[in-house]
Amino acid sequence: MTALLQAEKVTRRFGGIVAVNECSIAVQERSITGLIGPNGSGKTTLFNLITGVYRPHSGHVYLRGQRITGLQPSRICHLGLSRTFQITRLFWDLTVLENMIVPVRQVGIRPLFGPGMYQHEQERALALLDRVGLTHLKDQPAGKLSFGQQKLLEFAAILMSGPDLVLLDEPAGGVNPTMIRFIMNLIRSLNRDGVTFLVVEHNMGVVMDLCDHILVMDQGQKIAEGPPHIIQSDSVVLDAYLGT
Amino acid sequence: MRRNVLRWWPLLAFMVLLAYPWILREPYYHFLGFNMLLYATMATSWNIMGGYTGYKSLGHSAFFGLGAYLVAIAANQLGWNPLLSAPLLAIVVMLVAMALGWIMLRTSGSAFVIATIAMLLIFRLLALNLRDITKGAPGLSQPLPPWPPEFSRMPFFYYMLVWLIVALVISAYVRRSRFGLGLLAIRDDEGKAEMVGVNTTLYKVLAFGLSAYFVAVGGGIWSYFQTHISPVFAFDILVGVDMILMTMLGGLGTLWGPVLGAFILIPASDLILFTFKSQIHLAILGALMLLVILFLPRGILPTLQDWLERRRAPRAAFVGARAMADVLAEQAHAADGVQPVPDERVVAEEAKR
Repeated sequence: MTALLQAEKVTRRFGGIVAVNECSIAVQERSITGLIGPNGSGKTTLFNLITGVYRPHSGHVYLRGQRITGLQPSRICHLGLSRTFQITRLFWDLTVLENMIVPVRQVGIRPLFGPGMYQHEQERALALLDRVGLTHLKDQPAGKLSFGQQKLLEFAAILMSGPDLVLLDEPAGGVNPTMIRFIMNLIRSLNRDGVTFLVVEHNMGVVMDLCDHILVMDQGQKIAEGPPHIIQSDSVVLDAYLGT
Repeated sequence: MRRNVLRWWPLLAFMVLLAYPWILREPYYHFLGFNMLLYATMATSWNIMGGYTGYKSLGHSAFFGLGAYLVAIAANQLGWNPLLSAPLLAIVVMLVAMALGWIMLRTSGSAFVIATIAMLLIFRLLALNLRDITKGAPGLSQPLPPWPPEFSRMPFFYYMLVWLIVALVISAYVRRSRFGLGLLAIRDDEGKAEMVGVNTTLYKVLAFGLSAYFVAVGGGIWSYFQTHISPVFAFDILVGVDMILMTMLGGLGTLWGPVLGAFILIPASDLILFTFKSQIHLAILGALMLLVILFLPRGILPTLQDWLERRRAPRAAFVGARAMADVLAEQAHAADGVQPVPDERVVAEEAKR
């Protein structure tokens, strides 16, 4: 069985520093895969290599067996891969509803000149907003939302492009416990609907609870992988986190 | 009643403009009116790139000059009617702009601004030095319009009015289309826009081409209006600077802002020129612009709109206050280490599961 997402020996250097070093990972379809590692271990860089922000210096990334290395990020998004950011990024001057409409999957030039928002798109956007409890704010500029609401909006908006694989960069970072539980439930229910997740997260409770497979990175390389209960007692992982 | 006036004012403005050349019959006023419409059209066009997309080109005079020269050359060498060839040849200018934009739009911020100035200077050098085609510094003349001289400017006025309307319709259409939404997204956060599937390169190149188009049409009509053009005036950086000042005065990224800005700035600049009869009018204009930037940084229309909304929308203020209260409550709770409740609906939703 080929994995939904595969990175093969990808390397990326910044000056003399090797941020990601011949790292190979695989994300199975319909899984919730965790990606953990100490600060600076290359997790976010790996995200950027997968989503096309950076081009790897060597190695390749495959989505459903199709090579996506070097494609424009928007093209990769059209192929069904979306992400959120560690520090929430939204279109601050646009309204909540407009923020939902921008990511609707658009291929080619023709749809550009259609209306800004079709009825069925608006209905889908409102249904998703309802799911995250933001419907009453739909006409507010995104910049006016609270931190937690912004995080939920970013999550909901990337779902509008109908992704098969979603990369989440610290979905539980800086949010209160109630919201964390809410986000975890959202991820689980989307996963049941068929969405695959690759999650970077520092909150170990969340990772162990949520993920069914965990990848561990240290110094730009994958040092371990397996189900949560194995990872928790892996000596290599403990070394990486606690130092020798 | 008040709402009706608000809805119909573009039509009223249109009627006033239709009557304008018959009310103010002095040739000077026809000249002034043509200039107002010309700059309103070009500022509207510039706004598609500078206002909606946030890429501020200082070199749009290049497309003005290119449009002017192409029309003059076609009139002289091929005998093409300038009024008909202006919109056609502007398509050529648009394609040139898209090709150059594809290169220049790899930069952003101040690097982009400098690239556009460099582009303008290159075209100016070409116009000065390709003497076989452009006749160099003395410039090109073209045949006079066939209609009687006492009416000479009136057809230009009405023709320019048509193009202002076309530019406004396109600008409004872009603003409401998926394309325009993508442009606004690029203005807010280009990296994020690309990441959620907006093909930012394509969007920016299309917007740049479109924003060059009406400037080139304006240049083409202007060249016939002048009958004689030279590189110094056709590729004058101040033409592009004026488009920017007008847009910023009226309201950057708004539909009507560029028109309002042009309708204020063109007569004002003439008035100051006639009052002081010297180059000091440029200094006074500069001082006025400084005042606008200091006291109306967002331009007239957005400031006015904010003011109106604050006066008559207690509901919006209430929602705003609630959002602020939410933020404060969340911060207070976070400080206490107490779990804040995000929203009743969120909790209800969660309980259902």
